[in-house]
Amino acid sequence: MMFSPQAKRRWQRFKSLKRGYYSFYAICILIFVSLFAEIWVNNRPVIIHYNDTLYFPSYGDIIPGDTFGLGYQWETNYRDLKQVFDNNPDSGNWMLEALVPYNPFENHFIEGEFPPYAPSIEHRHYLGTDMAGRDILSRLVYGFRIAILFSLFLLTISYVIGITIGALMGFLGGGFDLIFQRIIEILSNVPILYIIMIVASIITPNFWTLALMLGAFSWMGLTWYMRTETYRENTREYVLAARSIGASNWRIMFKHILPNSVSILVTFFPFSVVSGITALTSLDYLGFGLPAPTPSWGELLQQGTSNLDYQWIAASAVIALTIVLTLVTFIGEAIREAFDPKKYSYFS
Amino acid sequence: MSQHNLLTVSGLSKFFPVKKHSLFGDKQYLRAVDNVDLYIKPGETLGIVGESGCGKSTLAKTIARLYASSAGEVHFHGANLTKLSQKALRSIRPKIQYVFQDPYESLNPRHTVGSILQEPFIIHTQLSLQEREAKVKALLDTVGLPEHAINKYPHEFSGGQRQRIGIARAIALEPDLLICDEPVSALDVSVQSQIINLLNELQKKMNLAILFIAHDLAVVKHISDRISVMYLGSIVESADSDELFKRPRHPYTQLLLEAIPNPDPNAKRSERRITGELPSPINPPQGCRFSTRCPMVEPRCHSTRPPLIVTDGQDHQVACHYHQQSFENWESPWDY
Repeated sequence: MMFSPQAKRRWQRFKSLKRGYYSFYAICILIFVSLFAEIWVNNRPVIIHYNDTLYFPSYGDIIPGDTFGLGYQWETNYRDLKQVFDNNPDSGNWMLEALVPYNPFENHFIEGEFPPYAPSIEHRHYLGTDMAGRDILSRLVYGFRIAILFSLFLLTISYVIGITIGALMGFLGGGFDLIFQRIIEILSNVPILYIIMIVASIITPNFWTLALMLGAFSWMGLTWYMRTETYRENTREYVLAARSIGASNWRIMFKHILPNSVSILVTFFPFSVVSGITALTSLDYLGFGLPAPTPSWGELLQQGTSNLDYQWIAASAVIALTIVLTLVTFIGEAIREAFDPKKYSYFS
Repeated sequence: MSQHNLLTVSGLSKFFPVKKHSLFGDKQYLRAVDNVDLYIKPGETLGIVGESGCGKSTLAKTIARLYASSAGEVHFHGANLTKLSQKALRSIRPKIQYVFQDPYESLNPRHTVGSILQEPFIIHTQLSLQEREAKVKALLDTVGLPEHAINKYPHEFSGGQRQRIGIARAIALEPDLLICDEPVSALDVSVQSQIINLLNELQKKMNLAILFIAHDLAVVKHISDRISVMYLGSIVESADSDELFKRPRHPYTQLLLEAIPNPDPNAKRSERRITGELPSPINPPQGCRFSTRCPMVEPRCHSTRPPLIVTDGQDHQVACHYHQQSFENWESPWDY
């Protein structure tokens, strides 16, 4: 599909708003990095050269210690292997470790000390470890990946429901509209947090059930806008024109009304991402979110606030959260500005 | 009679419900179109004039069933449009097409001219993309637009050019009836004549019947075979174009004709004016709708509503109790 000149102008305008544009780049990079986190942040090395064979352990099954002559069947302890390699520099074996050589689930214990460990370059815990000796940077990266995927999934659910119902309300009007208005009013007043707490005490929520549950209660906001937008577009003459050449309702909806309502959906996108991340973080903070060992910012925040003596835990989580939410908000601001109808009308 | 008519409208009404002032108040309706009869023969142009807010556009949209009617019938090609199912309606749509007033609003800003003009073919034919594009190019040629317009967007054109696009879309499927809802009132005067000439040309070429709506009598006279004058949702006078201009019988028509600016500085000007505002169509005046503004109003006008009656036999209908007196007193400000 070609982009309309209006869309191109909006993109140009978005690009000219530097703060939002750079934030957009930054977020894209963060997402990209976190999607391939196994390469940068992992206790498995990126490349191992052993007896003239190359191994890429980042992805895939575990490689047992036997493979590298360590004499055990379980997964290779790559830090030990590194020791072995370093002690025999002449063997020609080497490994390229990940930038942060810790996995988010791994409890790392340094001899003679108890966790949490403060940030240190020497131990390569760049942001320190949490109370259980797990590397904070590693948990932040993996936690970010889960949070952003979670909020995108949540957003998809709520957009699909919200757009469908909103568009139908605007398009059909009458009784359907009236009934769903009341349903939305009721749903909006349901205390979602309590519901999730109750459900979480019965079943352990996982990524999908949690997103579905939140999604079922978070589509209402968009519906109002979509309804109004559909109502408005539906009475405009180009829709009447389509109707007069005999276009079906289906066609009018998808070819005429929806494309002209996109601006609202796009404008809400970043703010929905923010609210998704915030929702997951706060649920995790309260302990009703994703189950225990999952890397999560909320859980980190919880550890940090209950152990304020180890400032690096809370500080890392708070700073990371602030940076990400600020970036997304900047993007949202720029999008809103770029889509401002006062600047670019249909007639310009 | 109706055998020879392409379109016959009888008793057509469109009422819009109005918000009640109190919970127990009577349900009120805005009578936008009130009991309208008209007909169009194949290849003929019927002009409808009336001031803003008299229900011309609503009438047109109700005929095309862009609005559902409240009462009455619209017979077209042997089918009653007001009663057709959505599916049957969609299949008859190509034969009755609509040109909108505002060429800025009636074209989807997100579609190229090519895709706007292809849409009728996509919906109603099984043509391939190449065939459709060939059709679109032929259409653009017919309405006098360059071929490269195909990849442009509506906002890249002037008002007149956009109206040409709107007309091209309307004639794409070779309709029998074209409803033009003030197609030129949003355009410059110089462009107006081009569009009207284009419509005239198309009419000859395709044997189109046109329902032409305007508030400008001069424009309507130029294009119409017959003219109906509308006031407050009803037709007050209907006649052949020349007949209406030469021998108007309804005081409202006369006042409209007198109000046309005359370029001759020596021409005598009528002292009569239409005063006041159009009454509310929610509470229309009792009796004759025009009684509140009529210069020759009599007590009877306030109590009894005059029916639309045939006067001169030549298809000249008028709704006025005193049309005879009114006609005798009238002096044309024009030399025809």
